[in-house]
Amino acid sequence: MPGKHLARWTLSWFASALSFLLAALALAVPFAPAPGAWLEGRGLALVHLLALGWLSQMMIGASLQFLPVLLARPLPWPWLSPLSLALTGVGTILLALGFIGLEGGGTGLLALAPLPLGAGLGLFLLMAGGTLLPAGGWRDDAGRPVLLALAALILTFASGGGMALAGTGGPVAISPEALPFHVGLGVAGWLGLATAGVSYRLFAMFLIAPDGGGRLRRITAGAALCLTGLLTLGLGLAGHWPAPGWLLPAAMICASVTAGLYIADIAQVWRSRRRARPEVNMRMTRPALAFLALAALLAPVAAIDGRFAEAAVFAALVGWLSGLTLAQMVKITSFLTWIQVFSPRIGKQKLPQVHELVDDAACRRWLGLWFAGAALGTAALLAEHAQGLRLAFAVLLVAALGIAREVRAIRRLAHLSFAARPPVLPPLFLPQLRMDPT
Amino acid sequence: MTGDPLRQPVIDALSGIIDPETGHDLVAMGLIRSVEIEGARARVTMTTTIRGCPMAEMLRLGAEAAVASVPGITDAEVTLEWEPPWTPDRIGGGVWA
Ligand code: HEM
Repeated sequence: MPGKHLARWTLSWFASALSFLLAALALAVPFAPAPGAWLEGRGLALVHLLALGWLSQMMIGASLQFLPVLLARPLPWPWLSPLSLALTGVGTILLALGFIGLEGGGTGLLALAPLPLGAGLGLFLLMAGGTLLPAGGWRDDAGRPVLLALAALILTFASGGGMALAGTGGPVAISPEALPFHVGLGVAGWLGLATAGVSYRLFAMFLIAPDGGGRLRRITAGAALCLTGLLTLGLGLAGHWPAPGWLLPAAMICASVTAGLYIADIAQVWRSRRRARPEVNMRMTRPALAFLALAALLAPVAAIDGRFAEAAVFAALVGWLSGLTLAQMVKITSFLTWIQVFSPRIGKQKLPQVHELVDDAACRRWLGLWFAGAALGTAALLAEHAQGLRLAFAVLLVAALGIAREVRAIRRLAHLSFAARPPVLPPLFLPQLRMDPT
Repeated sequence: MTGDPLRQPVIDALSGIIDPETGHDLVAMGLIRSVEIEGARARVTMTTTIRGCPMAEMLRLGAEAAVASVPGITDAEVTLEWEPPWTPDRIGGGVWA
């Protein structure tokens, strides 16, 4: 069957995630809390719109597309995908409204949000686990970090849900002492390790490099296991026994070691590439990895004396994860669009190449602006400069709008000559009902 | 048969199919494993850079259409095989066997 490994809802996930990103940034420009005040309702709402609505939805959409490709095993129950998309979307909105309610207006929604969120994330776990486990994912260099990431997602949700219910006094409430472990599991565990796992093989593919693997990846997976283990221990102790003072710093040192090994690995893939001139998505991956290095340097300091915690989380979520995701979104969208529109005509006529769908220079400009905004925001948080932080969000918003416009142009094949475009274009982000018969 | 006069036209036809990711054709990318000609019958085995490649089936169909259009070939069959897997060292190496 043509395109049997093609997930149908990927672009719907991307569109929803991108809407969350634009909404979060548009809200952050006027409402972002000052540095040091991000644990108030508004700050929590913004952080989770970014972490769950934007980054997690992108990660889920990309995983449902690429786990079957990378493991050569079809996704079980792919029809759960739109259901999971709707539930995680609704759950994220309720969570954000619930956090805003903390500033007055009641916390009812905060207690309700974990239900749709848990259901949506659960359906994703079912599909991802159903691909990884029967394929023996733990034996695979890329599968190991993704499996750890899925475990971290479960713990992030459990701890977040537990803290959300803490106000309601329910039996599953978790003490706020769990907070740093929740953040570590969410950012480094779930988002970080999932990104690393999927990127190994995807980057090798994009760069036409040998699929490295081997000893370095096993050692990295060991460090990642150490990281998730220590964070899980901290979570288990929270509220019952005082966590020993070394626990969080040790976990963050493991995070830094994992990040360092991962960066060394990707540098090796970069050096052994066969593609003489890497495309914009890979060239703009380099600044994203620089932000990962920065976050990895700040995290242990933050764990030891609390300084730089907000800057470290910002550098990781906005500079590294969002920057990388935006760059790869351009590539993945062009690749999927090409397959959708042109693959039925392979061998029958001359076809454009994938990169012709993308305006490289425009993407490079907008992504460059994104990283400038991320650098400004990190610096503003380090210097505790409220206006600088607002300005950074404004820069990030403009950059995100520019990239969204480029992604739309890719979907509309706007950069191809009129003659090269098919008479009927596929839907912008909804799945196509039938394959083009020509 | 390696010396068959139809072998080269079949390989030329396969060279007309461009991998849209890299801009190289199937033969230059080292994705064609074997080409066998028996009379008017062509049997080709090919691979993709990665086993789960979402484009695999479309590339196979495209290759089959291209081979079938070679004058003298009435029956074209292209199959996919992934063992041993493709590596970037295959680029520029032509047909494997
Ligand atoms: C990708 C997943 C997630 C990430 C990366 C993440 C990240 C974070 C971060 C960075 C903070 C601290 C925010 C700040 O300093 O302003 C936080 C706090 C919090 N998160 Fe999450 N989170 C995730 C998922 C969730 C989920 C699913 C829930 C609930 C169902 C949740 C509930 C909470 C709560 C209640 C707090 C505040 C705790 C307190 O202040 O006592 N989080 N999270």
